[in-house]
Amino acid sequence: MLLKATDIKKSYGNKFNRTEVLKGIDINLNKGEFVSIMGASGSGKTTLLNVLSSIDNVTSGHIYIDGVDFTTLKDKKLADFRKNDLGFIFQDYNLLDTLSVKENIMLPLSIRSMSKKEAEAQFDSVAGQLGIKELAGKYPGQISGGQAQRTSAARAFIHQPKIIFADEPTGALDSKSASGLLKKLQQLNETLNTSILMVTHDPTAASFSHRVIFLKDGQVYTSLSRGEMTQDAYYSEILDTQRVLGGVVDEAE
Amino acid sequence: MKLNNLVIKNFLRNLKNYALYIFALVFSVALFFSLLTLTLDETAMEEIAGSTPMTALFSVGSVTVVIIIILFVMFANMIFIKRRHKELALFQLIGMNRNKIFRILLLENFLIYFGSLIGGIVLGFFISRLLLMLLLKIMRVDMMVEMNFSLTAVVITAAVFVFIFIVLMIQNYVFLRRSSLIKMLKLNKTSESTGKPLGKMTIVLGIAGIAMIALGYYMSQTMFERAMENPIMLPVYMVGILFLTIAGTYITFKYSVAFILNMIRKSKNGHVNVNDVLSVTSVMFKMRSNAFLLTAIAVITAISITAMSLSYITYYSTDKMLDSTTPYDYTVENSEDLDFYEKLLSDNDYEIDRIEKSFMHYSIVRTDENTDLPEGEETGMDSNEIGIVVASDKEFEGFDVAENETKATGTLAILDILVSFEEGNPVTFTNGADFDRTVEVTDTTSDGILPSNLSFGLPVLIIDDAVYQELADNQPEENEEFEMPSELYAFNIVGGDNDEVLEMMDKEEHPSFSSKLLDYKEMTQMSGMMAFIVGFLGFAFLLTSGCILYFKQIDECEEEKGSYKVLRKLGFSEGEILKGLALKMIISFGIPLVIGLLHSLFAVKSGWFIFGIEMWTPTLIVMGVYTVLYSIFALMSLGYYRKIVRKSI
Repeated sequence: MLLKATDIKKSYGNKFNRTEVLKGIDINLNKGEFVSIMGASGSGKTTLLNVLSSIDNVTSGHIYIDGVDFTTLKDKKLADFRKNDLGFIFQDYNLLDTLSVKENIMLPLSIRSMSKKEAEAQFDSVAGQLGIKELAGKYPGQISGGQAQRTSAARAFIHQPKIIFADEPTGALDSKSASGLLKKLQQLNETLNTSILMVTHDPTAASFSHRVIFLKDGQVYTSLSRGEMTQDAYYSEILDTQRVLGGVVDEAE
Repeated sequence: MKLNNLVIKNFLRNLKNYALYIFALVFSVALFFSLLTLTLDETAMEEIAGSTPMTALFSVGSVTVVIIIILFVMFANMIFIKRRHKELALFQLIGMNRNKIFRILLLENFLIYFGSLIGGIVLGFFISRLLLMLLLKIMRVDMMVEMNFSLTAVVITAAVFVFIFIVLMIQNYVFLRRSSLIKMLKLNKTSESTGKPLGKMTIVLGIAGIAMIALGYYMSQTMFERAMENPIMLPVYMVGILFLTIAGTYITFKYSVAFILNMIRKSKNGHVNVNDVLSVTSVMFKMRSNAFLLTAIAVITAISITAMSLSYITYYSTDKMLDSTTPYDYTVENSEDLDFYEKLLSDNDYEIDRIEKSFMHYSIVRTDENTDLPEGEETGMDSNEIGIVVASDKEFEGFDVAENETKATGTLAILDILVSFEEGNPVTFTNGADFDRTVEVTDTTSDGILPSNLSFGLPVLIIDDAVYQELADNQPEENEEFEMPSELYAFNIVGGDNDEVLEMMDKEEHPSFSSKLLDYKEMTQMSGMMAFIVGFLGFAFLLTSGCILYFKQIDECEEEKGSYKVLRKLGFSEGEILKGLALKMIISFGIPLVIGLLHSLFAVKSGWFIFGIEMWTPTLIVMGVYTVLYSIFALMSLGYYRKIVRKSI
């Protein structure tokens, strides 16, 4: 088991005015698994992702990656941890406008000792798979949203992390760019055997993953595995669950 | 690709954003360095500042500049590190630890800092020559400008800026320590306290703030009059006024502005237009959270304008002051000395214009009609009488005064505390016994007819010869402890005085004299030096407070980027949005400026007469120049906004 989280709680506010966002969540993620987290707005999915990815700290509970509990790690160890094991993709890309596409992608490699040739080869492979090699010299301001998100994905994959955390990666994209990106993610997930944990509210996006975890009011409501289903069947299954959850779809007569 | 390469590359591309910061830094260094070079240049100092108080003035100036620079740079650093949180968060996400990020900041700041330091020193060296020329011109000293590149100045400047650099690094370190990753990722989404409804307290405090300032102003206008009654109270009044105006300014920014803008908003009854969205509603909340900063800026503005106005008043009044206190080129003690110099000068082909006049001291008395004269008890004098010099219009040319009238000469505003002569008021002469004679003041002039050592610094009254004789006939008994002077021996050089004449006369074995030229030189040097240093500091204040407001606007602009996008999408043109933003600039820059100007106006009004003769012209010139320079920063901010608005869609 690659990632194992036990009884995670997270609350905000002061002593007198507390809001509990996560009310004791247990989650497991296997190596090479692609898992989506879904839920209505305010169900705590982004908070969960932030906590699992070490961006935010938990109020209580433990998170193990490869058997190491990082909730107790100090800044330096935590930084090493992020450097080697984690990759991130955000809804708003988080690219540096002052660096070119290639430089943005190579950024994670710059803080580890890797020969120029090796780094070059890594870039060629990842950028090639994501189809953004010819954009290398452009700047974030000059490329489309879909391209920017693929750049961001390339940056997440380049150092071959164990897990990639994606927060609504398709949220700002049109459906064509979105499915293009998801196909690439699926592909990389298979070829590199990198685990992906993705937060999304889009059933289409979720249907690309192996397993969907539904959150409701800070707790795991249910989860759904694709198994041998076709993507279409899986998609309608997700929609049904979402309807039961009372989240988004409210069928009108 | 190594990390350092990336950092340097990133930094170089970011340089445009830093442009003003770097400019301000370079300028700060240049200002400090040039002031230091001036102070350390021995030949220049010998010429302009013979005495220690003047060099001390320079030292005080340098220290003040350092303090301004430290505060300013710390503020600018905070804004810039906040603007870069996105980058810093990303660096952390890809696995850099805080120490490494700190090292990156260190490297960047090092580049910025020491680049600016070198640039500033080079610029400062040229500026110092310019400054010296300016200073000499202000002091009206003729001297060849020659400056040496002072290594000591470089070392001191470097030391000061290394110190500031260390302070900044501590600041950055604390910032990094305190901020967690999640906060940095979200920093751009949290805005300053907006949307809080304005409660009743706001209204009460809003009115209180304005009332406090008004009370402070009122007290400042009556301060000296009241202090005359009870001198011990003067410091109490001063502290009270300072407290009222400064606290009032803070409350005004915190509550009154929001309160007034909210009234404007309410009066629109929901029909807000684009101008309101961009200016009134935005500023309303921003002012509140920036109250402290704005108060500091308004107070600093007020202090620097007041100081500049007062020193400029002094400098501006020098000529008139001298005409009032030292009307003749040379004054000597008796007619033998006069003969001596006449001979000496005519031997050297200089013609002189002898002036020998007589006058007398006479007492004037306080009467019910003439209340200008202070009451005896207040001034500490035994009686209601005050001795004053009177002269006949026959004796002094150019005057023709009717009987029962008098002309007051050498009236300076500062003397009004002791005795003031206003046109239309009566003056009553008395010999202390049964004789008295009343005349009416018909004219006053600041020009004097007697040097101040003969008139005891008081105005001289010119009366009709007949009245003069009448007074002379009724002289009081000679019971003074010492003889009052009644003769003036002076002369003017025909064709004007010059240094050559002064040099010829100024010998040890010659009889003593007082020279207008010498007095003039001393006065212009002192007041010129003062005006120079104060102007210099005022300029530093202006530069830093302008930059701070500009940075603040850049910050707000980045925050409000989204709104411009929405407005553009709603169909508002660039011009319409910019109009609203221009209004915002006027409010954001205008309110601190107007408050600062008002503060200084009242401050100047309350005490200007101690410094000179003219108040309005020099004060308005200083205020005008300050406003113009200050507006440049508002225009720069608007330019920045325009760039962002244009790019927003």
